[in-house]
Amino acid sequence: MLSNGVDTSQNGAFAEMRWIWIDKFVEFHSGESAVAVKNVTLTEEHLHDHFPGFPVMPETLMIEAMAQTSGILVGEANRFKEKVILAKVKKCVFFDYVKPGDTLKLYAKIESLAPEAASTSGKITCGEKLIAEIDLMFSHIDQNLAGKEFPKENFVFTDTFKSLLRDLPFDDGSSGALESGQD
Amino acid sequence: MRIATMAEIMRFILIDKIVSLERGRVIKTVKNVSLAEEYLADHFPTFPVLPGVLLLEGLIESASWLVREAENFAHSMILLEEARNVKYKSFVAPGAQIEYTVEAKTIEENISSFAGFGESGGEQIVEAKFGLRHFNLADENSAMAATDAIIIENMKKRWELLR
Amino acid sequence: MAMNGSTGSPSQAKSRDRGEIFQEVQEVLVDALGVDNDEVTAEATLMGDLGAESIDFLDIVFRLEKAFGIKIPREELFPAESLMNNPEFINNGKLTEVGLAELREKIPHTDLAAFENNPDINKLGDLFTVGAIVNYIDIKLNAA
Repeated sequence: MLSNGVDTSQNGAFAEMRWIWIDKFVEFHSGESAVAVKNVTLTEEHLHDHFPGFPVMPETLMIEAMAQTSGILVGEANRFKEKVILAKVKKCVFFDYVKPGDTLKLYAKIESLAPEAASTSGKITCGEKLIAEIDLMFSHIDQNLAGKEFPKENFVFTDTFKSLLRDLPFDDGSSGALESGQD
Repeated sequence: MRIATMAEIMRFILIDKIVSLERGRVIKTVKNVSLAEEYLADHFPTFPVLPGVLLLEGLIESASWLVREAENFAHSMILLEEARNVKYKSFVAPGAQIEYTVEAKTIEENISSFAGFGESGGEQIVEAKFGLRHFNLADENSAMAATDAIIIENMKKRWELLR
Repeated sequence: MAMNGSTGSPSQAKSRDRGEIFQEVQEVLVDALGVDNDEVTAEATLMGDLGAESIDFLDIVFRLEKAFGIKIPREELFPAESLMNNPEFINNGKLTEVGLAELREKIPHTDLAAFENNPDINKLGDLFTVGAIVNYIDIKLNAA
């Protein structure tokens, strides 16, 4: 299915997951808000560079975790038909750092949703502590960036991402949100 | 705790070289983007581009070196405190090189603020305004002084590789 | 309660005078574009003076919707894109009569006299001033 030979379909996905920064969703209210979790562990290689001697989760990877939480929320609101990518970090503030052994909770909320773009707000906590506040804007790239060519299939929302949603009960009792709108 | 070996160092460093540096004022760095970077396989399949947050990381690392050099490596920990209006204007694909330019607005003892941008092949890629905070672990807990020393030692070695 | 742009905000679209509108618009632009208060004058152009780009226009529309409790079809406030991509409206880098008519219709909140003398599409961006946004909001709020 994918031209570069990487198989990200279903079970083979876990061996190939190098750019997933959340572990699972624990709440999902379609079109409104979602909560995901991320465990921070010493086996994550990048920690050893940041910093050598005292590993902490890089703030930019926390932004990515929030972007994935919010991005999936936004994408699902349109049944994953659009390719939704991070276009702007409106604002992010970090109040404390995060260490291996910490479990993060990421709360994301859709603030505005339009055919071409979406705006989200979010916060990250670790236990009782507020770690960060992160507000983002996403662009639905087929509707913008006129003149740039993209592969037709939805390369943003691979099965790997959608599998993060699989065990969730949905508000309306359906699991329809997992059905892909892509052809 | 030990000093990281060379083999362990190179996994989360988002700049390859410091091109120029004006103490406490401006730094220019470059990063090469290569298919060898594993996360590109996921971002995105069939359309590999450097993730936006790693572009921001390149700007942050560039700014961090400006701070470390200006304060003579006084602090071990330099972290992003806040970023605003980080805009992604275009994509960078494998084979391309990004040039980062970061200007310091202020550098104080424990905080600093910057404006930076990245371009590639004459095209604007990213711009951001952001602030860092710098401190030593020993500030809160004197038992951590040895750890601070190890981090600083490692960063000095990294500095030698990058400049 | 979750707020969703597609169902509309519960805040009231109360009428305000131009001074109040200007202040709110100023605040929105300062936040969205990362510029200083004193850069946001009525004559300042969004693109040329304040550095706004495509994604910023969307950010601004969202923020204005929330600040004023109104729906703003992006096309109404910033119609440039559809005009610039339509060959009927552009000829040799300038807007044609048809293009100008289309523009007049789309942005009644903006004074086009100067632009019409030399409808260079590169100058289209100059029309989008802070003042034009204030006019637009003023019209929208008073029509409500």
